[in-house]
Amino acid sequence: MHVVRGHIEGRPAIGFCTDATRMGGAMGTVGCRRIAAAYQTAMAEKLPIIGLWHSGGARLAEGVQALDAVGLVFQAMIQASGKIPQISVVLGPAAGGAAYGPALTDVVIMAPAGRIFVTGPDVVRRVTGEDVDMDSLGGPDVHTRQSGVVHLLAENEDSAMERARQVTSLLTDQGVFELARVGPNPDLGALLPANRKRAYDVHPLVEGLLDPSSFCEFHRQWAPNVVTGLGRLASRTVGVIANNPLRLGGCLNSASAEKAARFVRMCDAFGIPLVVVVDVPGYLPGAGQETDGVVRRGAKLLHAFGEASVPRVTVVTRKAFGGAYIAMNARSLGANAVFAWPAAEVAVMGAGAAVEILHRKKLAAVAEEDRTALLAQLITEHEQESGGLMRAVEIGVVDEVIEPCSTRARIATALAGFPPARGAHGNIPL
Amino acid sequence: MSAEFQTVRAELVATVLHVAAQIGDPVDPSDMLVLLDSMKMEIPVMAESSGTVTEIFVVAGETVREGDALAIVSLAS
Repeated sequence: MHVVRGHIEGRPAIGFCTDATRMGGAMGTVGCRRIAAAYQTAMAEKLPIIGLWHSGGARLAEGVQALDAVGLVFQAMIQASGKIPQISVVLGPAAGGAAYGPALTDVVIMAPAGRIFVTGPDVVRRVTGEDVDMDSLGGPDVHTRQSGVVHLLAENEDSAMERARQVTSLLTDQGVFELARVGPNPDLGALLPANRKRAYDVHPLVEGLLDPSSFCEFHRQWAPNVVTGLGRLASRTVGVIANNPLRLGGCLNSASAEKAARFVRMCDAFGIPLVVVVDVPGYLPGAGQETDGVVRRGAKLLHAFGEASVPRVTVVTRKAFGGAYIAMNARSLGANAVFAWPAAEVAVMGAGAAVEILHRKKLAAVAEEDRTALLAQLITEHEQESGGLMRAVEIGVVDEVIEPCSTRARIATALAGFPPARGAHGNIPL
Repeated sequence: MSAEFQTVRAELVATVLHVAAQIGDPVDPSDMLVLLDSMKMEIPVMAESSGTVTEIFVVAGETVREGDALAIVSLAS
């Protein structure tokens, strides 16, 4: 086990590394004590701590003593959670204690040779007879697409280190909103398709909202219907949560709610203001989602936003419907500002769907060739009656209708206007 | 060799609105293969990698379930 002190972008940081050349990097009492001591220093000096992992886990020969030592490392990580940034880079196979170590930290970065599992293929084969290789047990595909263990997959070892530096810098060197340097206001509205029903990829919109090339996306391939990541807006670090209509139509589901909830809580713990970009048709319905715990896991997102004390601004670009409207940082959950683009719909459901339910009989009674015209008329009436976006402004759930081309500046100005705050809680890996 | 093919699947229950690709078409990432209708939205399903469309399993108007195969793309090496 090696522990070092150094600098990232000129700011002090602590690093530790398992030594894979000695007993496969296994974690013994001495090594674990070193990690715990490194955590003490990092906590005392409020420094970020970065762990590099390639280890078979607790050192078998040391028996329960090694387990106790690994437990002490976990406890040090848990005590530090939400207080100092913890970044893990998994460079090789990381099993057992070496899997849960990274899993307890804020951000897990994986190099192509990284593998993460509770038990390796040999033990699995011996105990259950299952024949499985390291890759299908805990390779990049498993952890970036299916399990959500890994936040970032790097192309090679060097880029894994570079990503670790970038994330550390975004978390520790957050900067301030430099409103005079907010720069160009791209017309983000041009990124929406002309057809309102058409799904699109939200990434260009998120990137256009942030300072150029500053977006660092977490969990890109896991639960891709919501996009989460850190970036800079007018030089300051912000966290972005955005529905991505291209995937599942942008619906929230159990996995994406959980992913977003954990991200919101991490940002809140480290005092990072939030930008929430909303284009959501609702929660994904169906038996699959219910058994997947969409009620329990969806509640995490409500809870995360509701308890967050960092400044947080919502912008509804196209639509915010139903329960998902609330979950995407609605006014009622304490959003500091809620903006909407001029054509946005904020409602229980789309006007068309509402009319089909409310006027089912009336629609069924007319001849088929007259139905489209009647539907259009009823939609217009419904919008006048329910008030549409203007009604949302009137009752104060939307503060202001803003132009897409001024969105970047408006969000930066709004966030800068609220007093900085930080949630007093850990970052449990939800 | 499964690694040389990519099966493109439906992510959610939907109706096939339009099949945009034909067997034999060369495709690149972000090329639309099938357009689905679900959640009152039109959701394009795209190729993830470059290759050639070798199979299409659906026709317009058909209902697909989550996980159903829509098409197979043989990957360009």
